[in-house]
Amino acid sequence: MNMQQSGIQADDDLVFRRICALLDPLNKKGVKLTRDVDLVADLEVDSVSVLDIVMDIEDHYDISIPVNTISETMTIGQLVDAIHAIKGQQG
Amino acid sequence: MSLFAKFEKTAALYNSLSEMGKNPFTVVMEDVLGPTRATIKGRETVLAGTHNYLGQTFEPKAIAAAKKALDAEGTGTTGSRFANGTFSGHKRLEREIADFLGLGHCVVFSTGYVANLGAIAGLIDPSEDVVLVDADCHACIYDGCTLSGAETIRFRHNDPESLDKRLGRLDPKFKGKLVCIEGMYSMYGDTAPVKEFVDVAHRHGALLLVDEAHSFGVYGETGRGVCEAEGVIDKIDFYTGTFSKALAAIGGFVASNHKEAEYLRFSSRPYKFTASPSPATIASASAALANIKATPALKAKLWENANRLHAALTQYGLKLASGPAPVISVLLPTKEEAFAAWNFLLDQGVYVNMAIPPGTPGKESLLRLAVSSAHTKDDIDRLVAAYGAMAEAFPSARVAA
Repeated sequence: MNMQQSGIQADDDLVFRRICALLDPLNKKGVKLTRDVDLVADLEVDSVSVLDIVMDIEDHYDISIPVNTISETMTIGQLVDAIHAIKGQQG
Repeated sequence: MSLFAKFEKTAALYNSLSEMGKNPFTVVMEDVLGPTRATIKGRETVLAGTHNYLGQTFEPKAIAAAKKALDAEGTGTTGSRFANGTFSGHKRLEREIADFLGLGHCVVFSTGYVANLGAIAGLIDPSEDVVLVDADCHACIYDGCTLSGAETIRFRHNDPESLDKRLGRLDPKFKGKLVCIEGMYSMYGDTAPVKEFVDVAHRHGALLLVDEAHSFGVYGETGRGVCEAEGVIDKIDFYTGTFSKALAAIGGFVASNHKEAEYLRFSSRPYKFTASPSPATIASASAALANIKATPALKAKLWENANRLHAALTQYGLKLASGPAPVISVLLPTKEEAFAAWNFLLDQGVYVNMAIPPGTPGKESLLRLAVSSAHTKDDIDRLVAAYGAMAEAFPSARVAA
């Protein structure tokens, strides 16, 4: 599957790409994944699925992302930024 | 009006289900006929979606004790535990629970939900403590974390190694660490490897809270829960439970060997700012506790029923969430199929619970059967027949051949 088919926008940011890869199976409506896409409103991913994705990211980067950070994180871009901030502190 | 806008989508779904007569969330028990029977939509129905595990809702000794307390102490306490709502019955029940569990201290709260809220928010200072929570923990544990205001980190369900990693990379700034798990998880009926969690938590200097809401009275040699079954009841730090399942009343508690658990009486807002359980409630919970202690046959009967139902459902090829347990859940791929299967069972005269994501651990929806020691042979026969018919009608509920 190439990036075009899976609807993932080309982006150099590895964190962004990783999140898109994790979201891709949940992207049932084939929404084009950009930083502005809202996880709950646009992708209709439920809150627990978002937390499950976060756990995958935690284990991949060996960081801990508090649930409190995530409940306020709505768009893909905001999630990416939150992970960068935590990586900066813990990494 | 924007206050209500966010409800529109959910309300549309909810109303459409109600119009179709298919809404599992608006069921009314019109007449309660006994511990396992009620009238629903004018029809006598077998109840297998209640948490009356030890059938104590109509225990004569509990009813007599409640009536006596009602006559002697009145209908309600009209106040919180912290103010005017502590009667001698509340203190006596705390001692009885502590003695039953073999733990030094017990604090009674108004419900099981409130007990977990009160334990977590009462113990945690958001400026210096952190909470680590199993991914599948009940909403009240998450709500307790929210109320505490502390950083909350989720670890993979029933995975001590996942907890180990998260404890290992914690910022050293945290002074107190609390780990929350459950004994038996109510959606799948699976149980926690509590012993391993004790080891991991304590190795990192964290305290362990185990919510035994669904396993109190049901697991362990003497019914003290999964902690007893795992042989570590004296090692865990906080044991929380409810009166609304095996004890068939309403209320909750936090028990502990730490004498500091008593501090919850002034540190815990959910202890201080809600009314305490009524005298009749306390009296029936106390009588039910005495009864289940004196009658091990209740637990034995529960497990006999659970094993028989689990074997029958397995025989039908239904896709089950876990091994034999007092909760037996059938997995269905979509919520539409779960709604239809739930209605099918109700039409067969059987009431179970339905759960859909995000209220479920996985992506599947589920039909949850809760077993009772009070289920008669006739009840079980009806349940088995209804599930057999459902397995025929809903191939998606079966394991692929």
